[in-house]
Amino acid sequence: MNNISFIHDKFAEFYKENASMIKPPSNISKREFGFFTFKENVVIRHKSFLNVEDLRNYVKQLVPSHAYYSAAYYEMPEESMEKKGWLGADLYFDIDADHIPTKCRKIHDTWTCKKCGFQGRGVAPNECPICGGKGFEERKWPCEICLESAKYEAMKLLDFLIDDFGFSPHEIQVSFSGHRGYHIHVENEKIRELDSSARKEIVDYITGTGLDPAYHGLQGTPHGRRVTSGPDMDEPGWRGRIARGTHEFLLSATKEDLEELGLRKKIINEIISRREEILKSWEKEGPWSLIRGAGVEAWKRIIRKAIESQSARIDTVVTTDIHRLIRLPNTLHGKTGWLKIPLSANEIEEFDPLSSAIAFKKGEVTIYVKEAPEFRIGEETFGPYRDIKVELPMAAAIFLLCKDAAEVAD
Amino acid sequence: MTLTREDIAKYPFLTDAAEEVRRVNLEIQNLDNPEVESIVKRAAERIREALENNPPRVSYREREEDIEIPSFPVAIIMAAASGNNYIKRRYALGEAIRAYNLLIEEERDKILEVAETFNWRIRRVKDTIGDRRFDFAISFIDYLRNTRPFHEDRFKLVNKPLLKGEVYLTKREVARLLREEVRRRIEDKLNMEIRLELPEKLLNHIEEIKKKYAGDSEKRIFETPKGTFHEAFPPCISQLFSAAKSGQHISHLGRFTLTSFLLNIGMKIPDIVDIFRSSSDFNERLTRYQVEHIAGSRGSGTKYIPPSCETLKTHGLCPGSETCGNVKHPLASYRRRIRIFKKESQDNISGHE
Repeated sequence: MNNISFIHDKFAEFYKENASMIKPPSNISKREFGFFTFKENVVIRHKSFLNVEDLRNYVKQLVPSHAYYSAAYYEMPEESMEKKGWLGADLYFDIDADHIPTKCRKIHDTWTCKKCGFQGRGVAPNECPICGGKGFEERKWPCEICLESAKYEAMKLLDFLIDDFGFSPHEIQVSFSGHRGYHIHVENEKIRELDSSARKEIVDYITGTGLDPAYHGLQGTPHGRRVTSGPDMDEPGWRGRIARGTHEFLLSATKEDLEELGLRKKIINEIISRREEILKSWEKEGPWSLIRGAGVEAWKRIIRKAIESQSARIDTVVTTDIHRLIRLPNTLHGKTGWLKIPLSANEIEEFDPLSSAIAFKKGEVTIYVKEAPEFRIGEETFGPYRDIKVELPMAAAIFLLCKDAAEVAD
Repeated sequence: MTLTREDIAKYPFLTDAAEEVRRVNLEIQNLDNPEVESIVKRAAERIREALENNPPRVSYREREEDIEIPSFPVAIIMAAASGNNYIKRRYALGEAIRAYNLLIEEERDKILEVAETFNWRIRRVKDTIGDRRFDFAISFIDYLRNTRPFHEDRFKLVNKPLLKGEVYLTKREVARLLREEVRRRIEDKLNMEIRLELPEKLLNHIEEIKKKYAGDSEKRIFETPKGTFHEAFPPCISQLFSAAKSGQHISHLGRFTLTSFLLNIGMKIPDIVDIFRSSSDFNERLTRYQVEHIAGSRGSGTKYIPPSCETLKTHGLCPGSETCGNVKHPLASYRRRIRIFKKESQDNISGHE
């Protein structure tokens, strides 16, 4: 039996029993739906459903590898893009480990040169070191560290949405994406009609793009040779973030970190030798005028680091795209066999995707694993494996099959 | 909001325009009436002022409410009837600037009232953030709607205090946002279909204005020179171009940016398809389809232009180069670079020391 038909059959079984869990979006009849199929590997778009029962039955029959709905509301969702009649769209954020440079990627992500088959780890290079080929098959692995860092970014994003943008937690729906990240969905009448350029401003706010610290309290002498004051840690919005990020950075910055910013030697020495004083200064007006030789430009360089750590790494394209398709909650992800799981904003900290998103809880199957790093499903840890035949619980087996890291053994 | 006659004369857009227009329509039929004539004269003058002053600016005549008030809807009818987009845009901006100049002289409560008639979610505050004092807090949604065409860094949302959904602003900043709201409202009004029988005298006024000023609208648009000047590519495009040529992976938005840029500078579709040829998953049919789509010869027929510099920054596609200067669009950067190159080569030819 080949992998695809095995996975398809398991997905079919799952939907037969659990299609009723599929959580429909609000205003279902105004949304566009889209699906990927297993066998023909085609995209079905511009579908619409009048009610949730029709949607669930359709999924049960089609057994898609991926199921999506539109963030947008349309007058006629089944028409072509130009004729749909856009009515508005919810505000969406996608946080994916792809956008976070975690160190573990060097361990678990692999690439294979399509030309010569040479393999390497981490992010694929521009050119294959063996044959000079430029096309690669990349395999990204959802490991615990990646998932944790995605969660951390999601929590930072929630702070922006609640504290700065003033959304109430019950307008915000958080979901585990079913693969390597989180989706955050804001549904609120008032934001529906925001156009793409307004959403871009929201994105820039959250990523700190175009931020000038001079507008957030960093003040200097006329020629900027000396800084006279800066923001405090307990202030709201970006002012507080700049201060807290600067505090964190200066607390642990090594000489190399500071050199990387292109700071002058004298400033670097000041920062390192007076760390205690800097730390204490936050109790009063901060270190802004404390470091000799550090003018507005030098501080702006340091603050760049603060912005980097305090901003949330979101996929900028998803939020600004007002026609985006979003994975349907409580459906299976074809690259993992895990579920996209909705949760509330205050549950995220305790949430464990590797337990909660598991769909296949019954049975075992023997598979032949080509290569897989260590991974956890629920309470159990598996692997690492290489060229080995193993009997695994269904969830672990489906995961490896979906990742194309294994084959069903006869 | 209870409006005095003076308020209406200052901010005539606050009253029910439809009713006002209906009323005025009856009157303008009777142009021989000297009172009506002076209203029409003032209306034509409002438009002229917007076209003559730079930046466009319509004056305010104190204590002449009987003419200031009705001349506004008449001017709207006239500008709309001109059917000329340049006149419409200039006039809308002229009235908006007029309102701005009057608003900054007003008490804060008056500004609040005006904003509330536009249904803004706004309130008066007396808060200090850092050492700056703010007069108003406004919903970030209203803020974004009314700063859309602004390009100054200080109006970027990320550079504003934003607390619990409200942007904190000074009085002057709120007046600036109101200016934009007024401009947009007037422009919308001017773009509505006018189906009135206008008296001949009025039509003559309109023709006169068009003849005198609409010639200006044919602003010289800098033609993009024929041919592809690789050395004039802005850094974002150079980067994408060489990545595509060497078959490196480019994001969807990156491909879109490169393709739409090349199409807009006149490169032919087959030549663009060729650029993507070294990509390992190159599919000629699919690439051609995508390029044709962006060129507008497929699908909706929309011919796309590349994203602005701001958008490229948001999506991490701007390498951030000082050689771009104050340019806001990669196509503008390209044209500017060509002009500079041309000038430099001319300088070389004429043999400057």
